[in-house]
Amino acid sequence: MPEEGGSHALSLEERLRRLEEIVGELETEELGLDRSLALFEEGVRLVKEAEEALASAELRVEELLGEGGALRTRPLQEGEG
Amino acid sequence: MNLDLFEADEKEEGGAESSPLSAGSGGDPVRPPAALCRTDGPLALEDAAGEKAPSETVEQLPTVWSVSQVNQAVRALLEGSLPPLWVSGEVANWTRARSGHCYFTLKDEAAQLRCVLWRTDAARLPMDPEEGMRIRVFGQLTLYEARGEYQMAARVLEGEGGEGLWKLAFERLRRKLEGEGLLAPERKRPLPRFPRVVGVVTSLTGAALHDILTVLGRRAPWLRVLVRGTRVQGEGAALEVAEALRVLGESGAVEVIIVGRGGGSQEDLWAFNEEVVARAVVECPVPVISAVGHEVDVTISDLVADMRAPTPSAAAEAVAPDREEILRHLEGAGVRLARGLRRVVDRPRRSLARLREGLRRGARALTARHRRAAEVAGIRLRRIGPRLTERHRRRVREGMGSLSRRIRALVGARRSVLARLGGKMDALSPLSTLRRGYAVPLDQEGRVLRGVEEFTPGGAFDLRVVDGRVRCETKDRRKEEVHGE
Repeated sequence: MPEEGGSHALSLEERLRRLEEIVGELETEELGLDRSLALFEEGVRLVKEAEEALASAELRVEELLGEGGALRTRPLQEGEG
Repeated sequence: MNLDLFEADEKEEGGAESSPLSAGSGGDPVRPPAALCRTDGPLALEDAAGEKAPSETVEQLPTVWSVSQVNQAVRALLEGSLPPLWVSGEVANWTRARSGHCYFTLKDEAAQLRCVLWRTDAARLPMDPEEGMRIRVFGQLTLYEARGEYQMAARVLEGEGGEGLWKLAFERLRRKLEGEGLLAPERKRPLPRFPRVVGVVTSLTGAALHDILTVLGRRAPWLRVLVRGTRVQGEGAALEVAEALRVLGESGAVEVIIVGRGGGSQEDLWAFNEEVVARAVVECPVPVISAVGHEVDVTISDLVADMRAPTPSAAAEAVAPDREEILRHLEGAGVRLARGLRRVVDRPRRSLARLREGLRRGARALTARHRRAAEVAGIRLRRIGPRLTERHRRRVREGMGSLSRRIRALVGARRSVLARLGGKMDALSPLSTLRRGYAVPLDQEGRVLRGVEEFTPGGAFDLRVVDGRVRCETKDRRKEEVHGE
């Protein structure tokens, strides 16, 4: 199975979830200035990465072929089949 | 009823199967009695004139008939004299032979009619009718020559009340699955909020796939879609759909699966009402969205799925978060981050302001006290002055001066501490802003350039970034409407 490649270790979902955590912590916790700054910077980075992930993209459509351990995919063009 | 007998029937009937049916579907329902002449034994009816034969009685014929000839003749009469017709009654002795052909009896209070439903027609039934069930069949009356019994060769079988058999099969499976707790709302798994890979089980050539891909491409083009193509109607479609669900689910490559097809007749959609599909949906390791036909079509697959979508397009919308929505969400997160940080920075700044105000008041009180003390001292000085020598006066003046110097020094020291602290606080917000990637354009004099008009075309300016300055030149200016808070 070809795995989702790329340099981004986190999925969009993971990024957005972490971002929620950070915002929540920053909004409710009594944090020191250093900790707040660190969270803030991580949050800003996540926002940027997520925006990049959203911007890159054209829907990738593949057909799943084969059975059991011998699965493979091939690009699927609309209208063929 | 004897099953073996039916199996034998089926073999015998094999060749003849098409003949009564083709006669029935031919334009001329009344078959010319040529069959009467179609004899090849020694007892050939040489004198039987085609046109006269039906009106003649057997006794009038000059020769003795074979049994086969009689049955052939009766069969021709039967098939020729009655067109295909609808008959309604109660089902009795329903038997589905291993070959797939079905045999049964149609009854009313006073009479019975033997019926056969051939395999290809029987395969279209959603379920076998139950004993005593009221049905109607459409078909051709014929004679089974091998046994000399007349019967009805049914092409269509329906429960009374139009779609009775379908509804019954649906309800029966629904109750069964409900009994196993498979329709329970608490079984429904939540869909992943932001999936990366979406599986689709449907026909590669259907409108459903096109609709799904169109919606996903518009709303969530960062997605990867894995399609497992299947047939979605006809014999064996249900098995293919179930198998595709299993393969896609077990591949571990998808986080959610859409299964479905576009609209069609109840019979077209039937694969999604079959138990094998329902079981595959239930056993799928990732959440399944079922989207079969149009809004009004509800299938068993819809009922057991983690989510039912009224159409394939709606399924795609449910599975893909809208890009615009996420971007708005991200924007909101940025604002909340900044606000959160400001809250942290503001907290010491507020207490600092309180402290500063307290000090200022303290200093004022201090000076006032000093002034009062000086006044008191002055009064006393004036009072005792005449008695003091010049030396005493000088000492008092010197003492007063050092006291006020010390007070001034004290107040001044506190003020500079305040100023240092305050400066540190003030530096925080622009620093954090620059750190976030913002930059401030400055002109030669170090003034902030705040609008398009303040940039001279071709002119140079500095960009103040977090760790230094960048020399820039204005190439092009474009004013834009600013909407906002």
